[in-house]
Amino acid sequence: MKESKRFDRRQFLGALTWAIGGIISAGLGIPAIAYIVGPALQRKETQNWLRIGSTAKVELGTPTLFKARVTRRTGWIENEEEISAYVRTDNGREFVAMSNICTHLGCRVRWVSGQEQFFCPCHNGVFDKNGNVVSGPPPRPLDRFEVKVEDDQLFILGG
Amino acid sequence: MAARVGDWLDERVGWRRIWEAIFLRKVPKVNWLYTLGSATLFLAVNQIVTGILLTIYYVPTPDHAYDSVQFITGQVPAGWLIRGLHHWGASAMVVLAGLHMLRVILHGAYKYPREVTWFTGVFLLLVVIGFGFTGYLLPWDQKAFWATIVGTRIANVTPVIGETILRIMRGGEELSAVTLARFFGVHVWVLPVALLSLMLVHLYLVIRIGISAMPKRGD
Repeated sequence: MKESKRFDRRQFLGALTWAIGGIISAGLGIPAIAYIVGPALQRKETQNWLRIGSTAKVELGTPTLFKARVTRRTGWIENEEEISAYVRTDNGREFVAMSNICTHLGCRVRWVSGQEQFFCPCHNGVFDKNGNVVSGPPPRPLDRFEVKVEDDQLFILGG
Repeated sequence: MAARVGDWLDERVGWRRIWEAIFLRKVPKVNWLYTLGSATLFLAVNQIVTGILLTIYYVPTPDHAYDSVQFITGQVPAGWLIRGLHHWGASAMVVLAGLHMLRVILHGAYKYPREVTWFTGVFLLLVVIGFGFTGYLLPWDQKAFWATIVGTRIANVTPVIGETILRIMRGGEELSAVTLARFFGVHVWVLPVALLSLMLVHLYLVIRIGISAMPKRGD
């Protein structure tokens, strides 16, 4: 009898109150965490093949700048953005597309034809014609886009 | 271990006396109708928590308000739940506060020495209705817009000062970005401060004076 007395009605109701409170808190708390961190964990939207222009525009051996427009969605706002790529070919059949964004801090690099190098004006980063770092602070070569050619039109994978 | 931490804290901050005063106070034998006030308090906490969460994504400008609400409902994980709780909690809170008031009237619980509790309660109900009115505009859809047109025009009917009230409510002649911004400001700053202050006094008095017993025949 004494053993059963140790957990009486009063204690049971007290424990029940705490339990219900805990369930309600968890029921709101867990969705609240998902709600706050959700958009932060969302992966970038799927990439699309973007038509950037005709292969005829690419001069042999010289990186040529192409631009494409993409719509980006951030939160509830849709923005038109411009993606730029330097396309280079040595034989007119195989193409390499490099991003014009410096891998150091994101400035735009510029092809200087006299020196046959990409030059970044922000911190004097220099890349060679394949996008490899020649000098300056950039930590890695210029990023590359996947390229495909269909009916003499160049496409890059991006978005 | 928990008891020792509790003792250590109690010796320094004296929380046990406060705990006992709030949760272990003596109450007369009453029925379930006496929980309507606590139920309203529970909803107030729900509205505060979900309301704070909604402000993380909501933007109170005409070009973003509707889209940000759609974003919350459709894109953010559990956003439909948070908004739903706030939406339905708002209606439930008006209903429960009204029922709570009705119980106090029918039991005569507003009488001496509880007049001040009653006054704060009446103002609390007005604050809750203010929350409902300002919050209704924030989704910035057709229903919100036209309901606020109608609501502010009702104020316009007031003799002499009606038009002034309408202009102050709208922040000008028309219902505009100014209206949305000020309704938002009132909804998330002015009214919450009023609600919490009044609630503090209301609850202090409930605990200090104690709740009234069921009235008997001849009381």
